[in-house]
Amino acid sequence: MELSVTQENLSKALTAASRVASTKTQLPILSNILLRTDSNRLLVAATNLEIATTQLIGAKITKPGSITVPAKLIAEFVSSLPKGNVELLVKNDHLHITAGGFSSVINGIASDDFPELPTIDETSSIQYSINAADFKQAVSQTILTASNDATRPVLTGVYWHSYEGSLYLAATDGYRLTEKRLVETQSDVAAIIPATTLQEVLRTLSDDISEVDMLFDETQVRFRAGESEVTSRLIDGNFPDYRQLIPASSESVVVIEKSEFVRITKIAGLFARESGGSVTLTASSDDKTLAIHSIASQLGENTSTSTAEVSAEGQVTLNSRYLADALSVLTGPTVQFRFSGKLSPCVLSTVSKNSDYVHIVMPLKS
Amino acid sequence: MRLHCVDKSLLYLTYARKTLLKLWKTCEYRIVERNKTLGKTPNITHRGIEGYVHNSLWQSVLGEIELSVSHATFITWFQNTELVEVTDEKVTIAVPNIFAIRQFEVKFNDQVKEVLAKNGMHPAKIAYTVRTQGKKTVVSRETTTQTASDSVDELIAPRPKPRTSASQLSPSSGLNPRYNFDNFIVGSSNDLAYTACQAVAQYPGVKYNPLFLYGGVGLGKTHLMQAVGNEIVKNQPDARILYISSETFVKEFMDSIRFKKKGFSDKYRNVDVLIIDDMQFIAGKEKTQEEFFHTFNVLHQNNKQIIISSDKPPKSIPTLTERLRSRFEMGMSIDIQMPDFETRCAILEAKAALSGVELNHETAEYLANNIKTNIRELEGALNQLLAYAEMRGIEPDITTAEGLVGNVRHSRPQHLTSKQIIDKTAKYFQLTTPEMCSSRRDKHIVTPRQIAMYLLRSELHLSFPKIAGELGRKDHTTAIHSVEKIEKSIKLDFTIREQVAEIKEKLYA
Repeated sequence: MELSVTQENLSKALTAASRVASTKTQLPILSNILLRTDSNRLLVAATNLEIATTQLIGAKITKPGSITVPAKLIAEFVSSLPKGNVELLVKNDHLHITAGGFSSVINGIASDDFPELPTIDETSSIQYSINAADFKQAVSQTILTASNDATRPVLTGVYWHSYEGSLYLAATDGYRLTEKRLVETQSDVAAIIPATTLQEVLRTLSDDISEVDMLFDETQVRFRAGESEVTSRLIDGNFPDYRQLIPASSESVVVIEKSEFVRITKIAGLFARESGGSVTLTASSDDKTLAIHSIASQLGENTSTSTAEVSAEGQVTLNSRYLADALSVLTGPTVQFRFSGKLSPCVLSTVSKNSDYVHIVMPLKS
Repeated sequence: MRLHCVDKSLLYLTYARKTLLKLWKTCEYRIVERNKTLGKTPNITHRGIEGYVHNSLWQSVLGEIELSVSHATFITWFQNTELVEVTDEKVTIAVPNIFAIRQFEVKFNDQVKEVLAKNGMHPAKIAYTVRTQGKKTVVSRETTTQTASDSVDELIAPRPKPRTSASQLSPSSGLNPRYNFDNFIVGSSNDLAYTACQAVAQYPGVKYNPLFLYGGVGLGKTHLMQAVGNEIVKNQPDARILYISSETFVKEFMDSIRFKKKGFSDKYRNVDVLIIDDMQFIAGKEKTQEEFFHTFNVLHQNNKQIIISSDKPPKSIPTLTERLRSRFEMGMSIDIQMPDFETRCAILEAKAALSGVELNHETAEYLANNIKTNIRELEGALNQLLAYAEMRGIEPDITTAEGLVGNVRHSRPQHLTSKQIIDKTAKYFQLTTPEMCSSRRDKHIVTPRQIAMYLLRSELHLSFPKIAGELGRKDHTTAIHSVEKIEKSIKLDFTIREQVAEIKEKLYA
């Protein structure tokens, strides 16, 4: 293999691939990055047997071929090179890299042992093209409530599924739940995508990318953004039927300015560290206020109040961190917060006619 | 359990497919018959005969492939594969993930085909599919609703208000409900430990704090400690109990340092009962010992119960810091000893009864007589006997047991000589053989010499005059005295008991 590429392209591709390359593995070649010529381009790939990522970059190819080299080393080496052309040459399983005055030889492993990258049958799978900005928003709004408890694998992913003609995303960790409507769909989809995969896809989305293509089949999903692809397994199992948990209506409905809500939550949170984040929200319809109260037995206590539209009085205890998380992903200047008594789920949503996002937080038993 | 054994033994046989089918059918018939007599409904297998035959065939395929690829390759790609469907034209193999599918199709297909052919299968096509847990990922909406509605209540439930931030971190106690006081068999060797544990379970944090249990492997330390935990949960369902091995403690502590994780100390300091198994592994880990020391103090100060087990008493754990040692000794330290003959018999009969088999007294006595050191080994022998009898459709009697116990005790060499015993004993005490056999009566030589005599008697059954001769003594009464002295010391002195046990271990290693 002999070719030349630009340092910027190569470095970007190697950084993305080295994030996926596995560090803890039985099979040593999995901690390597695969470099392979593909007609007039260079393919950079890595896999940890959960996710595989491939990047195609433009290259001037003199002689086709392939090699695998340790991910960390080559990524760090190339990223420290100056901008400009980088020459790659493979001789006897050694990769010679030359750029300006820098040259190095990296001992590689022949690419024969590198796992075959999974393929997906485009004709029998379900495809979506999603606006990159919408995709980013939808994923970041749901991924934060995915669980990281490995004992319940189905909850460690985001559930992409079709329901009444739309594609929905949902995720829950048992204490909170989010649901987002993304696009309209005619197909029947039900797939749990690992949260780690989605995080990786979010990282690969640079600002110049406008569309994300998704391809589902029964056991895998592939994302394509520009010249990068991420293929991942799906989580095996049934996602719980979460819809019945979203209350249709609530006793108390509070409409409040988001910036105010964020501020009082943050202040109350300061005094809630000792009690595991527990804060008590009191809605008062007479004063038209929402107050948050928190106590730290050693340090003191706090009550923060903000004006709000309140339909009926009520009180509920929540984890301030969950509340802050929810507020950080809600869009729009005003927020609707509704709850019924101390035990039913609380619903946070944006105030707008066609709201496509709900964020549910379970109260703490007080 | 018994089914499992049958399955396993089937796996090891590399008979032709037909023979396997036949054999399995007879087993199945016998099990059905046996269950009928026991009044159980037949519950053979969820996969049926085909599943077992496929599986055993696949195991032999894997066995062959394992030899021809590297270990890492085998673990990564071939572990957790399964033969799911066999027809004349097509063989379907389930693999763990999508990556494996391509890998098999492109790289291992020829190899798999070849080995299948060796095992008498010539499919025209081999198909690969991703292994699922019996459910399809893409399901129609109706089924999702039905299956999921049961679990929905527990999915999101109002969560109890955290007493501290720590209770979020320790949702499970780590206790195994299988271990309780009712199924612990008490004998003279462990009744003190049993009584103390019951007292602790009744009044946690009040009596015997900390409770320190020590003894060799497979004598029931874990069982007793878990029984205490389970008993406390039964009495006070909201008690926070944490059962861990000291290795987990060390690992979590190191993780908390390495990844700057918070909540480590809270997790351990906010429990009502802390049970730590195999404490000896903390030895030599200075920082962890210090952390444990502080945890210990906090818990003890607040009258929280601490239960610790180890294979040695605190005194004998090397490199245990002084302050921890003294703390371990301040509560109650109890030694669990080898069960005596009667207890071993009782254990065997109780375990057999649990499996629904009545073991006659003669057989129990035979097993108890031949396996003396370890209850786990004892149970293993019993399980082997029951499975064997079940498979052959015979009663588990003494003749069968005699045939099998040889297998269990394969580790005992027949050709132990008196010279080996004397040499090993001398080496253990860093003496030379001539010193041992000399007429010197320094204390540091006398005890080893007596131990050697005891071992010659207990392991080789030599006569007393012969023992005396071996160690250069003229008078056989010296040997009698020595053997008696060590026999007595073993009962009273832990050090001697341990030394003898360790030398024995070395002899049979």
